Formats: sequence, C-alpha cells, structure tokens
Amino acid sequence: MKLYYFSEMPHHEYPDAEGDKYPSLRLAFPNRFFDRATAATNYTRYLDEYEFADQAGYHGLMINEHHSTPSCVNVGVNMTAAVLARTTRRAKLLLLGNILPIEDNPVRMAEQIAMADLISGGRVLSGFVRGVGVEQWWANANPVHNRERFEECHDLILKCWTEPGPFRWEGRHYHFRHVNPWCLPLQQPHPPIWIPGTASPETAIWAGRRGYTYVPFLVPFDVARELFEFYRRGAAEAGRPVTPDNLGFLICAVTADTKPKALEAGRHFVWRMGPTLRGPVDWFQPVGMRSRAGTEFALRARPRSLAAMSYDELLAEHFIIAGTPDEVADRFAHVQRELGIGHLLLEAQESRMDHLTTMRSIELMGAKVIPALATL
Amino acid sequence: MQATELTIRIAGIDVHTWVGGRGDPLLVLHGAGGNRGFTRWTHQVAERFTVWAPTHPGFGTSGDADWMEGIDDLARFYLWFIDAAKLGQPHVLGQSIGGWTAAEMATMSPGSIDRLVLVDPVGLKPEMGEILDVFYHSPAELRDLMVCDPKTVPDWDELFGQAPSPAEAQIATRNREMAARLTWKPYMHNPRLTQFLPRVANPTLIVWGREDRIVPVECGAQYRRLLPNATLTVLDRCGHVPPLEQPDTFARLVLDFLGDARG
Repeated sequence: MKLYYFSEMPHHEYPDAEGDKYPSLRLAFPNRFFDRATAATNYTRYLDEYEFADQAGYHGLMINEHHSTPSCVNVGVNMTAAVLARTTRRAKLLLLGNILPIEDNPVRMAEQIAMADLISGGRVLSGFVRGVGVEQWWANANPVHNRERFEECHDLILKCWTEPGPFRWEGRHYHFRHVNPWCLPLQQPHPPIWIPGTASPETAIWAGRRGYTYVPFLVPFDVARELFEFYRRGAAEAGRPVTPDNLGFLICAVTADTKPKALEAGRHFVWRMGPTLRGPVDWFQPVGMRSRAGTEFALRARPRSLAAMSYDELLAEHFIIAGTPDEVADRFAHVQRELGIGHLLLEAQESRMDHLTTMRSIELMGAKVIPALATL
Repeated sequence: MQATELTIRIAGIDVHTWVGGRGDPLLVLHGAGGNRGFTRWTHQVAERFTVWAPTHPGFGTSGDADWMEGIDDLARFYLWFIDAAKLGQPHVLGQSIGGWTAAEMATMSPGSIDRLVLVDPVGLKPEMGEILDVFYHSPAELRDLMVCDPKTVPDWDELFGQAPSPAEAQIATRNREMAARLTWKPYMHNPRLTQFLPRVANPTLIVWGREDRIVPVECGAQYRRLLPNATLTVLDRCGHVPPLEQPDTFARLVLDFLGDARG
C-alpha cells in the first residue's frame, strides 16, 4: 500500500474566540484576521514539510485547494504543484484536486496541469473534484450546474490532452472557438485521474466506468465499502477490472516517538472535523448541488457529523490515527484489510501542529511505517 | 370562487395551472416560493376576472425545464402560454420573480399584454442597497424575512402553521432549485432590462411593501421611472408579499386598477 502526505496549509494563527463570533470560518470570517507575514512564513514551512516528505519516502504528495477559509490557504493546486515539481524529486504530485465546476476555462486548466507534469518529469496524478459548496459561493458558480459542469469540464480537458488541435468546442457550459494547447502532459495518453468521494453514488459510478482511482474522504468503513460497490458497478458496466490500485482512502494521521506525544499531536485534527466545517447547511450544500440520491445517501452515510464526535470517538472510528510508528503501521494495515485499498492518503498536519512535530512524524513514517506497508 | 386544475403542454412541458373566475383573463405569475394557488386575494379578484395561475416549469408539479437558463426563457415561455391557452391579450400580474418575468414579457411583446401589475418584482439592480441573497438563507429564515410581521398576516397559520409534509418539502426543494437555475447570476436581475423597459407603454401598477427586506423598496421607484405609464403604490407595514400580508387591500388595488381597463 502506498502512502501520501497531505497538508491543508491552515492559517490558524488567530484567537479562536474571534472565529466563534461568525456563522462560519468559511466565507464569513473576515480576512482582517489573515496575517500576511505569518502566511508568508507558513508557506515556506509547509513547502519545506512537503519537500521533506518527498525525501522521507512518501509515494506521493497530495495537494488540495480551498478558498475564503483559514482551514486551507492553499488557493491553487496547480501553483503549488509547479513549486513542488521543481523542489521535489521522487514523489508523485497528487492534485486532489482541481475544482472543475467553478472553472471557467478548462483549456487553461489543461495547460497548467500539463505544464506541472512536464516540469515534474511526469509525476502528476490529476485529481478532479466537484468541490465543497462553499466554493460555489466563492466563485459565484450556479450550484445546480455543478455536476454538468464537472463532467463537461472533464471532457474538454481530456480532449485537450488526447486529441490533436486545433478543434472547436461548443458545449452547454463551455464554448471555445479555437482549442490548440501548446502544452501537453509528459505522461501519455495523460496523467492518471483521481476522484474523491464523500457521498455521491453517481460520482463513484462515474469514476468506476472510467477506471479512475477513487478515494473516499473521512467516511466510516461501511460507507466506504458501499461507495466502492457503486464504483465496482460502474467498472463492471464498462468491463473494467477493479484492483487495489483503483481504490484509496483518506484519513488523518500522525506518529511520534511515544504514544502520549502522538495523541497530543493528533488532537490538532479535531479542529478540521468541527470548527472548520461549522456553518449554515446552505453554505456547504447550496441548493441543487447534490442530487436527491446523493442527499439521501449522505443522510445515511453520516448519521452523526464529524463535528459531533469526540477525539476518542474519532480515534476509535479511524478518522484519526495517532500512535507510535508500530501502532500506526498496525492501524494502517487494518484499514487496508478492511477496505482492500492500494493508496492511503494521510492528512498529516493540521491546525496548530508545530513544525518540529510535523517533521518528526514525517521522518518516522519514512523510516518505519512506509517500509512496513510496502508489501501490503 | 372555486378554481379548477388544468394541464397545458408547452415546449414539451406539462404546466400545472389553476383557473377560476369570470371576466377578462388575468395571468398571475408566482414568486420563487412557488404557486400557492387561489388564496384570499385571488378569490376576490376572480369575482371580476378569470384568473390563470400556472405553476412555473420546474416548480411544484409542473414538468422539468433543466434546459432553461434565465428569466428571459421563462418570459418567452409564458408568451407562448398566452397563445396556447388562447388568453388573447390578458392582464399580467407577477410577484417577485413572477413580476420580473412579467416585465421581461412586456419588453419582448408589449402588444401581447393588456395591463401589467408588478408586485415587489426583482429584475433590476438596486441603485441603493442589495437584493437579499435568498439562497444564502434557510427556508425557515426566509419565511420570516419575507413578511413585515407574521402576526399581521391573516392566513399565517393556515399557510405556515404546520410543518411541511415530505411531499411538500420535496416540492419546496424543487422550487428552490429551479429558482436558483433561473436567477443565480447575475443574481436576481437582468442588467439590460433597463434598456428595454421604456418600450413598455402598457398601463402598469407597481405595488411594493415599504418594509420589504428581500428587494429594496427603492427598486419600485426605479421601475416607475423606466416604465412610461406606471404608478407606484407603497404599502405601509408590509414586506415582500403584499398579496399574503394585506390580501384585502391588495385585491382592492388590483380591482381598481384593472377595473378601469375596459370600462
């Protein structure tokens, strides 16, 4: 099983009492609490940690993107990918991912991903996401078009990468009279495509039909298995085999020299489960973004919100894994046995977890955990 | 005056329609909250006019219209509706997004319409203030925001006293989705409508609640300035939905205005 390092690049250097005054940390928390000097220092720190994860032996570095929130100030996956393409050597660059429905120019996006793939020597894994509802507000993109735009944007990017230009694109949401990108990915026919999932059966089926790598984020095991069944249904329709390489899973994880130290560090993940997801339901799920089937599945999949769970419960349910290297290796193997996955994505830094703790965790993962799981 | 229900098929869409009353036809276009059918004011107006109250495509039990992109599509649709239902040259009354639709219809084909009644319509970018982002607020919040004071709404308990049934909740979600489809961006207005409104010489009554918290009352004056033959009536202690908040006053205003039309 392959391990991936992921940091949301949080900007949690403000008094929590200030954040509590607003309906949500997303969209509403004023950016006067954004500290420019701190952010500049943080970017250096977070990029250093990514680079160390590359050196430590992680198979991949996962990068994501959000907007208008202190929970994630990585505001451009392709920009970060371009930096890491130059400063790292071995690890895959997992962009998970570009938010397709809010993108107005898929051709530019195809070019940027291709450029990152070229600079990195063909290390890009190109994840495409539908985004959190908050991103629809940020971009003022109509949520009722979310899935249609996701699919059409995907189709146009794939065509940019796989069919000779120039050609014309007259779709429903995208219109380009002259498509002929002079920047194509190094990997042929194109970088592998990854798709995350939290609750939409349609997305799992869609990804299965295309053989893309499918990764549920922070869901209970039984929900992940159910989503994988939808994925297999889609794959079977297309006559595609499903191997562990098609399936991944994302959790939060940290290791340290002692169990008490690891458990103390793991507490920082509770912030991303609760405060950063707090807010009116219409901000996170604007009208029309989810199909009725998706909404019904989400209600079943999350009878309790992550925010309602205690740290101990989050540990018991494997949303967070924190322990000595031997202990986390054992828990990761358990996740692998439960789900049959080939990729485990570790959200490995959060909130106010400090640099030294983060670096030690990366070092121990590289020295002891990654080798132990290599044969799984 | 009892209403009957019809289904009229236009552009491949089955349109659920309430019809009732006697006299010249009056086409009533509902707001984003959906079609409430015949309520207290409608019954009064239906004594003198034949009220046609269709449910917009994508709303209520009317058919889907996922292909529609904006209120201009809905306006073209209702011009077709007028022909298909053989309404001749009806009066058109629209509330909120229904008012915006009526205004767009009049700019496209003023001769298809007799008199126009616009009730707290969206459609124009406010010169002062902003149109409340209704999609940012939960349905429960909106229920309170849309009126000046629930205690003064005569049929409040009848309309909102009970929690919606699962079927009603599903329709409410569908209504909200279709409203988002039609009005998301530019939010609740057409920047070009100002250029076309001067074409509309139809006698027009604009009605607004002074305490409208959804659409600033100043938009009423903007509509009046742009429409060559319009009067504006602002109701005190009234919010975004005069037909529900002050049904008797509202019905009187409509009857007085339309009653002048053909003697």
